[in-house]
Amino acid sequence: MTDAQVVLDRVTRVPGVRGALVASAGDGLVVAEQLMDGVDGRAAAALAGSLVGRLVRTADGAGRQPPAFVQLRAERGSILAAPCPNDLVLIAVVGPDANIGLARLEMLDAASRLA
Amino acid sequence: MSDDIRALTTRLAEEPTSLAFLELAEALRRRGQLEAASKVARGGLGRYPGLADAHDLMARILSDQGDLAGAFDAWADALRLDPMRTGALKGIAFLYFRAGDAVAAIDHLQRAAEADPDDESIAQALARVRRESRAMAHRTTPAPAPAPAPAAEPVVVAQPAPVTVVEPASPFTELDGGHSLVLVDANGLRLAGSLPAPDGGETGDRVAAQLAGVSREATRATRLLGLGTWQTITVESPDAHFVLVRPTGETVLLAAREPSLPMARIALVAERAARAAKIWLERVQ
Amino acid sequence: MRALEPWVEVPLQTFLDESSARLTLLMTSSGQVVAQHGFSRSLDVMTAAALGAGIGASTEELARLMGSPRFEALVHHGARQSCLLAGFSTPRGRWIGLVVFGPETTVGIVQLFFDQMVQQLASAAPREQPAASALPENFEHELDASLKALFGR
Repeated sequence: MTDAQVVLDRVTRVPGVRGALVASAGDGLVVAEQLMDGVDGRAAAALAGSLVGRLVRTADGAGRQPPAFVQLRAERGSILAAPCPNDLVLIAVVGPDANIGLARLEMLDAASRLA
Repeated sequence: MSDDIRALTTRLAEEPTSLAFLELAEALRRRGQLEAASKVARGGLGRYPGLADAHDLMARILSDQGDLAGAFDAWADALRLDPMRTGALKGIAFLYFRAGDAVAAIDHLQRAAEADPDDESIAQALARVRRESRAMAHRTTPAPAPAPAPAAEPVVVAQPAPVTVVEPASPFTELDGGHSLVLVDANGLRLAGSLPAPDGGETGDRVAAQLAGVSREATRATRLLGLGTWQTITVESPDAHFVLVRPTGETVLLAAREPSLPMARIALVAERAARAAKIWLERVQ
Repeated sequence: MRALEPWVEVPLQTFLDESSARLTLLMTSSGQVVAQHGFSRSLDVMTAAALGAGIGASTEELARLMGSPRFEALVHHGARQSCLLAGFSTPRGRWIGLVVFGPETTVGIVQLFFDQMVQQLASAAPREQPAASALPENFEHELDASLKALFGR
């Protein structure tokens, strides 16, 4: 099992996580994924990657360091993102009842391992 | 009429809706024929309202005509369509500089430099604005008080009349901890609040420009992934935490705090600020 | 944005709005232009269409030599701009899309919405038979008429 798959396996075990993937931050392309039915990995990689890119520029504009974790909360769930080294980003799509706190901890831990 | 203008005019006559209007209007502008340039540019803009080139060109013509407010609006339109458009960033920087707002001028020039690092003119403009704003600051520094006269008579130094600066009312003034809050409209313009950088500089306008795009991206992402409408965005950086909320459908509010404060508390601050912003918006509109 | 056929407009405009593409050209596999956005000169459109169709044909031949299915998309990453060249099937035959984009978007976003556009074009294409293809002696006239339509005349 590759590092990415180990990481994805841990994240997707968190209750409420419907899918997780590793994407190339600059391109918005999928590197590795583990998704339930109905979760569009390509779209998640492209859209979440683009949003994280904008938030990096926003933080830079505010004179702050780049984000380490992002949560986009919506009516029917959230998108979580943790930028990793080597221009990767770990993304999770979670339902409204997901254990966000646990998912966050797993993702922050995982992000440091994806070197 | 010069050959190039003649050729472009012929081309436009043959293909009235072609993009030749861009070259023709620019050629007319360079020759100082601003009325004609304006007419050609307006015609083209009417057909291509979504073309950043056309708005940029219109802005240059308006600027040459002395309509600086019109030029500002046109460059702002160009930036909405193409946020990396260096011509528009330079143009707006020039207008800010003329209005005496060196901070905003430098901010826009820095963005232009990021978009096009190879453009020497941007680096030169930045150096000039910084130099002149330093010189201006030096000139307005009050002269040292004169040494007291040895005579017994008191020396009366006339004091300048106090200038009353009326700050526009902010929705956050009366909020406990009402700092580092920025309210932004759908066009990326700051409506209220401010966001100081760690070095003390003001970053509100710059961040506002980014936030409109963040909101659009978030709306698109949650829609296409079947998650519905977005409600909040929380961002954790090593040196700050941010929460974004939407007081209304057309506005975004950002709350920034030190990372020592738990994120859930910052979210509460943001929600309170959003309620205040909503009431304020209803009053000012 | 200009299109020869009205049913192309909505899918193409949606793609342009979502992808932030700077230049877009849709053409048949023989290089006949169907729609364009962002080009300011008809000569540039013709040149890009000819080159795009040529590259499309070359990569198809390369895939055939390698014994693999045809390549669906080609991306060239540039310092300031990048380019996507992708072939796709439509009810009107095989078309090629050429998209030029800058750092304000990503290849993931461009590909995502390009694929959506392809699906929308497939749904939007009218079901009636297309007009018979032009005879060689009428090709220049057809090309000229197409270019004028694409530039709004």
